[in-house]
Amino acid sequence: MKIIGQQIFRFVLFVLLQVFIFNQIEIGLGITLLLCPLYIMLMPFDTNIFVLMGLAFLMGLNVDIMSDTYGLHASSLLLFAYFRPIIFNFFSPRDGYDVLKSPTIFDMGQTWFLYTFGSLLLIYLTWFFIIEIFSFNKIIYLLQKIFLSLIFTYLLSLLLQVFLLRKTQKL
Amino acid sequence: MQNLIAFLRRFRVFLFFAILQVICLLTYVQYLSFPKSQFFTSASSIGGEFYSMKYAVAQHFELESTNLKLQKENIYLRKRLIKNLYQVDRNLFKIKDTSFEQQYNYIPASVINSTTGKMNNYFTINIGNMQGVKRGMGVFSSDGVVGIIHNTSKHYSVVKSVLTQDINIDVLIQPIGLYGFLKWDGKDPTRGTISGISNDLRIKKWSKVYTRGGSGVFPKGILVGRVEKLAPVEGKPLWDVVIKFSQDFRSIDRVYVIKNLLIEEQKALELDVPEDEDKPLI
Repeated sequence: MKIIGQQIFRFVLFVLLQVFIFNQIEIGLGITLLLCPLYIMLMPFDTNIFVLMGLAFLMGLNVDIMSDTYGLHASSLLLFAYFRPIIFNFFSPRDGYDVLKSPTIFDMGQTWFLYTFGSLLLIYLTWFFIIEIFSFNKIIYLLQKIFLSLIFTYLLSLLLQVFLLRKTQKL
Repeated sequence: MQNLIAFLRRFRVFLFFAILQVICLLTYVQYLSFPKSQFFTSASSIGGEFYSMKYAVAQHFELESTNLKLQKENIYLRKRLIKNLYQVDRNLFKIKDTSFEQQYNYIPASVINSTTGKMNNYFTINIGNMQGVKRGMGVFSSDGVVGIIHNTSKHYSVVKSVLTQDINIDVLIQPIGLYGFLKWDGKDPTRGTISGISNDLRIKKWSKVYTRGGSGVFPKGILVGRVEKLAPVEGKPLWDVVIKFSQDFRSIDRVYVIKNLLIEEQKALELDVPEDEDKPLI
């Protein structure tokens, strides 16, 4: 029960942060700060894949409604959720995942987090910007957007874990 | 049958993913071309309400500069009032005039949400159906053109701004009177391009660009920007005219929605024009 409450709180928090803060920050050079993937990433290891995809879809729709992007976030978050178990399997430790741990940088270590979240984020951002730009004429600009957003979003995700998670871990 | 069930069981994760993905992409593609679903936009009441709240907070930080701008505009307009003009021939002037009929009406509004960093940027404004806003009306601010109304709800509207890829407003480069279509390439929120300008013409740098007023969406002569440079288009005898917008879309606040009172008449008249065989040069 506690975990459901915690997840609902996190869901609302992430949507509000994304819509009212990170969507309003415009750095330039095509950098987009996307926070939502972190929410899907931080779901427990034993989450059912259908629940995961459903939540990703819902969260994407919420962000879409509030920022007039009509299915863009929903589509790419869904892709993120779909690839999460696949990438997790790929980088799994020798004796499988410990269900009691959660996929955060504190529990699983920096290298693991960099590999899994980094590759998932790359898939996510590539899909996101391909749909957004919708043409291959601007391939350089597309690559620039993906690369810069990847770095900034990854750093932001690290920062947010430091701020948000320490407290929830103690609960 | 058993094979089918086995197949469905085996690929159930992927099927679930595929169904949801198709829904998303259909919504995305459909909305880009024509707005049907009222639900997925910030013009819907919940999203609009949230942005009104955000705007109420954010507005305070810009009160001073907004006031200054409005004051300047007021002075400019006050100068043009008839009572401030010297009457040369006192018998000719009439305030209530039958030789002029009002064509454009303006509804003031505030932008409560805007983006400039995406490929297609939509602004939300705080007036809607109740104030008589309809799809296809033009929107401008005291600095220049802003966009065209894309979708409306009872209290809010979404504006398709100049910063979208297929905005195609017809514009006029003044002193020489050339016209073309305004486009945006999705990168720089301060610059746009005009297509369809033949490259045998000399265009002076910093000449002003106004709306042409052909389609009845904008009146003639609303400022859009100034010509910054000319770039040749590969393989075509055309210039790509790069212009700098006069309105900074990153700090947009007060806007006006244009209500053309004669648009129905113009539309009805233009329906009778036979389709031309030759495509225009774009």
